[in-house]
Amino acid sequence: MSLTRTVPRVLSFSARLTQAQLSSRQTLLVCRTFASSSARLQAILVEGQKVVKPVDQQPYKYTTVSDLEDPYKGGPSAIDKAVHLFFFTEIIRGMWIVLEQFFRPPYTIMYPFEKGPLSPRFRGEHALRRYPSGEERCIACKLCEAICPAQAITIESEERLDGARRTTKYGIDMTKCIYCGFCQEACPVDAIVETQNQEFSTETREELLYNKEKLLANGDRFEAEIAANLHSDHVYR
Amino acid sequence: MVGIIRYIRNIRRSGLMQWWRNMQYIGDAKYGVLKGTDQFGNKYFENLDPEDEVPGRHRWVDYAQHEYHASQVPPEWHAWLQHIRKDPPTEDPVMQNLSPAWKSHWVENLTGTRGAFKTYDTAAPKLTAWEPKVASRPGVPQ
Repeated sequence: MSLTRTVPRVLSFSARLTQAQLSSRQTLLVCRTFASSSARLQAILVEGQKVVKPVDQQPYKYTTVSDLEDPYKGGPSAIDKAVHLFFFTEIIRGMWIVLEQFFRPPYTIMYPFEKGPLSPRFRGEHALRRYPSGEERCIACKLCEAICPAQAITIESEERLDGARRTTKYGIDMTKCIYCGFCQEACPVDAIVETQNQEFSTETREELLYNKEKLLANGDRFEAEIAANLHSDHVYR
Repeated sequence: MVGIIRYIRNIRRSGLMQWWRNMQYIGDAKYGVLKGTDQFGNKYFENLDPEDEVPGRHRWVDYAQHEYHASQVPPEWHAWLQHIRKDPPTEDPVMQNLSPAWKSHWVENLTGTRGAFKTYDTAAPKLTAWEPKVASRPGVPQ
């Protein structure tokens, strides 16, 4: 491609040259088709290392090969690269880093004994809370059931003997739950909350179908931690 | 080299017995201040010196049971162990004031045992099957 593009250009100003010069130019041109830039492609070797630009670019500006920018200048030579390749120096450097880490203290957290940091807003196992008097908070408004994107919550309510509306069933299918926290955001009385407990995995599936008694028992066990988390977070709410 | 010096130093500070126990359970020669013991006998330690412990490994628990499990930590100490609360519950006025009188006992995760939670219906069934009753008639054997 470059040969067909450049041959007429060279021939256009080669009329003034002698036949010997022209033949040398054409051999040069064959070599120059492999040049990396257009400036090099159109340059004409006149004497020794001197490079002359085409005659139509007047006035003449003489540049030498050493003035042209060398993209490999300052980089490793081919011998250097070959030495690194054949002596596996990259592998040895990688093994040295491994050896350095061997003598450093490990960053591994030994899980059941040490635990990573958790946020007070962490969303783990669910719990139903009570008021400080011991009365259960949930009023069966079913907002959590309505907002639950996984439809994991099931509520049935009835009137209690004292006339208060309370739930008779409050079921959460923990295998459906996606732990998004919408239920505790929707709750107007802070009844359903997600505790920081994440160690409630079970061996069977039906152990994760929580009913109201299980959720209330969770709340009775976790109340101090839940209340402390809400206390530490109340300035941002 | 730093690790070896720390290891020997922690053996000297914790004693051979505690060092052997630590090597059996936590797998490292650790030494720290005893911050408290919960109702189950689990001991909670802390060492805030970055020369001794990598940050993130500065709080740990020494379980009382041989069959240790992460859910054996009660919620108050769980909040401290997971770095949710700065102070342990023995020194935390917020945690102490917010503990209600009706707080129930902590039970660890009992899955796989006979104490595992099995769900049940908390309300009476709305539909009951018809149970026929035969009235006794004179002269007809029951």
